[in-house]
Order: sequence, then structure tokens, then C-alpha cells
Amino acid sequence: MFRLAVANLTQNRTRLFLATSGAGVALALVLVFQAVFTGASARLTAYIDRTGADVWVSQEGVRTLHMSTSVLPSSVVEAVRSVPGVADAVPVRYATDSVAVGQAEFITYVFAVPERASVGGPWRIVAGTGALQPGEIVIDRSIAGTAGARLGDRVRILGRDFQVVGLIDGTSSLVSSVSFVRVEDFVRARGSGDAISYVLVRAQAGTPAQALAEAIRLHVTGVTVQTRSEFAAEERQLVADMSTDIITIMNTAGYLTGLAVVMLNVYIATVARRREYGVLKALGMRNGRLYQIIVIQALITTGLGLAGALLLTLSLALLLPWMDGLLVLSLDRGATVRVALTAAVLAVVASLAPARLIARVDPASVVRRGTS
Amino acid sequence: MSQPGLQVQHVTKRFGAGDTEIVAVRDVSLDVAHGEVVLIMGPSGSGKSTLLLMLGALLRPSTGEIHVNGVEVTGLSERRLPDLRLRHIGFIFQDFNLLSAVDVLDNVSIPAQLAGARRRDARTRAAALLQALGLGHRLGFAPEQLSGGEKQRVAIARALVNEPDIVLADEPTANLDARHGHETMRLLRRIARERGRSVIIVSHDQRIRDIADRVLWMEDGALRDAVAMAADPVCGMSIEQEKAVIATWDGRTFGFCSRGCRDEFLEQPLQFVLPDPAPPEAGAGPLPPPGGREIVSQPAVPR
Ligand SMILES: Nc1ncnc2c1ncn2[C@@H]1O[C@H](COP(=O)(O)OP(=O)(O)O)[C@@H](O)[C@H]1O
Ligand SMILES: [Mg+2]
Repeated sequence: MFRLAVANLTQNRTRLFLATSGAGVALALVLVFQAVFTGASARLTAYIDRTGADVWVSQEGVRTLHMSTSVLPSSVVEAVRSVPGVADAVPVRYATDSVAVGQAEFITYVFAVPERASVGGPWRIVAGTGALQPGEIVIDRSIAGTAGARLGDRVRILGRDFQVVGLIDGTSSLVSSVSFVRVEDFVRARGSGDAISYVLVRAQAGTPAQALAEAIRLHVTGVTVQTRSEFAAEERQLVADMSTDIITIMNTAGYLTGLAVVMLNVYIATVARRREYGVLKALGMRNGRLYQIIVIQALITTGLGLAGALLLTLSLALLLPWMDGLLVLSLDRGATVRVALTAAVLAVVASLAPARLIARVDPASVVRRGTS
Repeated sequence: MSQPGLQVQHVTKRFGAGDTEIVAVRDVSLDVAHGEVVLIMGPSGSGKSTLLLMLGALLRPSTGEIHVNGVEVTGLSERRLPDLRLRHIGFIFQDFNLLSAVDVLDNVSIPAQLAGARRRDARTRAAALLQALGLGHRLGFAPEQLSGGEKQRVAIARALVNEPDIVLADEPTANLDARHGHETMRLLRRIARERGRSVIIVSHDQRIRDIADRVLWMEDGALRDAVAMAADPVCGMSIEQEKAVIATWDGRTFGFCSRGCRDEFLEQPLQFVLPDPAPPEAGAGPLPPPGGREIVSQPAVPR
């Protein structure tokens, strides 16, 4: 019966095209939004993922970078350094601020680590240098590009002017980016004195991060110790929690649009073919078989729409980095599978109304028509 | 004679109730033998289609019983009816009712697949049947590419593909010109003869009555034996044979309502009836033998 379903569907190509396009656009809405979210969230944890620390030590109870303030006395650094298995411990100072580049302002996470620190400094420097002098700053190349700033230009952050000497790549999203300044500039601007934010720990070769974190917990009190992956997971969870509502709304809107398009199409197609379904019933086809035909049609329409949506999203994901780099699309397999499964369920739901219609078709009156 | 293929006992069908009640079929009883072609004629609204729908298990009689090959259809549950229709009854409709989205071969093979045949077997069987009906060169055509006569032959192939015991045709010639109408009727007679099917045709087309073994007249929901009736080939009026004005042509006898009609007929008989016997149909070979089923041959019922 698959053949009949496909034939029914492809007989009216225009309608099939419109329906799959409609479903495709709706599902693309869901996929793109999901990808934007995944991309942004990957960039939010860029510093954690890329900075090279195996373990993060923070003020007791503080588990994330964003939406929290961690303050530690600098003595913690020595305490951590003396724990067996620690290769290096680097104090990092951190603040959220906006950086003004010309007329434009961008939210940025400002980090300051001591000169020549083994971890925590800038990475992926695409222009200029990461070795900062007083009054100098490294910013993300995307915000520089967006604002039209170049090396040597001045930007304003932490209430002071800095000169851009280096550009890094891959930290900016629509909501944030990463910048680096020297420790003394940071301390002067913030008036934070000896206090530091986190201690970034590098493990000795052969020491697993998990074991190292455990050792630090044993030896240093009054701190929260997490491995890099734990810290990043907390961070992503925080972002997810903050964006759950908006994501739910966007997903619902996308899914409902897709459902409406597919349902309408399958319904119209069924009404148009009602007589033939009545004839099939008269010939002895059972309702169950007829439902199958309709569900297959809905599934194919949705499937084609989903394929189109995936193509659209992937092309966007490939194209966007060529633009300003602020919007990153990242489509992970889990999200794609979830969208596909939801779409399949919606296709079945979309078949309910047409199935009811079919159930009510009386074969006797269908074949009687036209006879006298 | 063995058990009739179709037995109808005191079947009545009422629509509505009270003041608006319509008795569409009134106490009809009828036996149709294997291999027999019965033509039911009658004016519009006389209940022919309603009777046919009941014979085809698409409509339940208000009272009475219908037996197909000894099985009481009227006693079957709703759930079992689709299967009965699929395997034991072949339908041919006035407006063909082919599936527009699939080709000729699929139109015929789909019912076979529904009845449980594997796709390949169903297609082989359908192709053989279509070949036998002279449509071997049309297998991949869409129904809309066919002429009316070809569509009707596809519909006939579809009705036969599951080797039904009875074949029901409602106004099978109404949408066909005279030649194709006659072709269709001859085909139905062949099917009855060669395959032992009971064929019941409903029509008010006077031109096809000479093909039936038996012609019944339906009026006001009730059947009357039409043996005593004759249809005026000129004006189509139905007249009792004893009172008819008689004329003979081509070795056959015709009855007319008046001298006027008879004279008109004798001036140009071929305008009103076809010569008999009809020449064999071009292009169509003998029907393939039905798989694993005995062919019940019947002597022609004398008229
Ligand atoms: N579903 C129905 N409901 C009510 N009346 C019906 C229905 N079907 C048929 N009838 C009536 O039954 C009578 C017989 O109709 P039908 O069997 O179609 O006659 P025929 O086929 O001989 O023209 C007509 O009066 C018709 O209006
Ligand atoms: Mg009728």
C-alpha cells in the first residue's frame, strides 16, 4: 500500500511541494533555533573548554562562571599548588563588563592571568599578540570586525581605555565574548586587591582530573572544586535553564506550524480523494489499511519537510561564519533526532482528522452516485 | 443443478421511517446459477441499485436473506463483510471508479494484494487478465489516458482479479457508446460462461438485453419476470408480449408498442438493434483459466 500512498501523494506535485515546503520551513524554525542555542552555549563555555585547565577551584558554593561571583584569597593558590598531582595552579581574575568599540558595545567576559601563565591565557590568536603590556587588551575578532575596529584602536572597558593588541577567534556569540587584560590593569580598575576569582589547575601527566579534584577537595577547605567537564556542564545547564522558556515557545510555534501545514495538506488530499477511498472500501479494503495509506502520506510529507529543514539549517551553519561570526549554528545529533521523532509523532497526529473522515465514508453511497 | 451461486430470499429494503419511509426493494426473491447472466431492467428509481448494493454486501436488507455460495451474507458481522466483498464479489460500476493516481496494472493488482497475494504474484495475475481483455498494451497507462471502453475493461479486470463467485455490474454501459457497450456485455457473458460466475447486471439500456440469459423487470421495488414483457426497440417502452405489434428481422422477433414504431424499425433496423450473433471481439484472446478452480460450464439458457 506504500505504492498507492506515494502515488496519491505525487499525483499532485504542486500540493506536495507546497506542503513539504511549509513543513520544512516550520521544522527549520525549530532546528535553526535549536542550533543557534547550541552554538551560543558552546561559545559561552569556550573559555572553560579551551583554556587548558583540568580542574577549576572556586569560592565555596560557586559552580559557574556566569551569573555568579567567585572571590578567593590569593593564598588559596599556594595551598592548591602543594596538593600532590598538581602541575600548576594559576589565579584568574574575572569580571563581566561591556566593551565599547567605537559606537558599539558588547558584553564581554574579561579575564586577567599573570604573565606567562601556563593556563588561562588567550588562545587562537589570529592577529597581533597575546603578550600584553599595561593598557593593552585582547578582544574577539568578531566584535572587532562588527564594530570595524583594528589592531591599535582604542576600546573602553572596566571604565578605562585600552589599546587592542591582539585578536582571538571563536569566543563570541550574540550574547558574549572573551577579552584579556593584564592583572595590574584589572586590579586597578576593579579595586579588587589581592582577591582572585578562580584557581585554574593543571594536572601532572598521568593524574586524572577526577582524582586531582578529589585530592584538592581533601587538602584545601572552603572552596568548591570541579573538573573542567563538570564546570562546563554546570555552565551549560545554567544557560539552558535561563533559556528553557524561550526555547519551548519557539519549538512549540515551529511544531504547531508544521503540524497545521501537514494536517491541512493531508486533510485536503483526503477530501479530494474521498471517492476513491470509498471505492477501495467497496472493493473490500479495511479502514485500517486506509489509515495506513494516510499516515504514510503524512510521514512522507513531514519527512521531506524535515530533510529540507536539515539542508537549510546546515547550509546556514556553513554560511554564517562567513558573515560576522557572532551567530553560530551548531546542530547536534541528539537535537536532530528529537526533532525528527517529534515530527513523526506530529505526522501521525495530523492523520487523525483525515482518518476520521475516511471512517465515515460510506462505500454504498460512493458507488451509488451517478447511477440512476 | 448444483447450488445456485446466489440466492435471494424475500429481501426488502426500507429507507427512513414513518411518513418519509421509502420501500426501495420489496420482497425480492431470486436465484442465479453459476455461469448465468441475469439482467435486471427497470425505470429509474425502481430499486435496482439498492438491490445490487445488497447483493454486494454494501447495504444490509431490512428483512430477508442473501446467500453467496451457500454462505448467508446477511448473517455476517460488519467486520467480515470487507473480506467477503474482496474475495467473493466483483463490482463493476457505471463510472468505472478507477484509482487515478496509479497505472492500469496497479488498479487491477491492488485488490489482489489486498486479498493477500504477494505483489509480484498479484501483478502477474493482473497482467494476464488485462492481456486477456485486450489491454496488454495499456498496462503502464494512467486511467485518464484510456478510452471509456478501455476503462470499463480495466474495471472488469479489477472485478475479476480475485476470482469472485458473483459479478455485479450497475449500469456498466451507461457511459459507453453502443459498440463499447456491446463489447462489455459480451465480455461479461464470456466471463459467466468460461468461468462459471454468476453475473448480475443492472441497466435500463435496452440494447443489451439480448446478451442476458434471463431478463427481469423491476418496478416499484419488486421484480417481475420479464419473459412476458418486451421492450420496444424504437421508443424503449416496455410492453406485454401478447399485446405487442410483432415484426421479424434477421431471424429474430421484436415487439412494438404501435405500428408506427414497427414501421420505423423496419425502415432501418440497424439503427435500433445490433445484428446477431455479434462477431468475436478483436484483440481479445480467451480468458486465462482461473487458478485452481473448477470451471462450471453451463448450457445456454433457452430464451
Ligand atoms: N440511502 C437512501 N436513503 C433514502 N432513499 C434512498 C436511498 N437510496 C435509495 N433511495 C431511494 O430508493 C429508491 C430506489 O433507488 P435506486 O435503487 O437507486 O433505484 P434505481 O437504481 O433503480 O434507479 C429511490 O426512490 C431512491 O430515492
Ligand atoms: Mg441505479
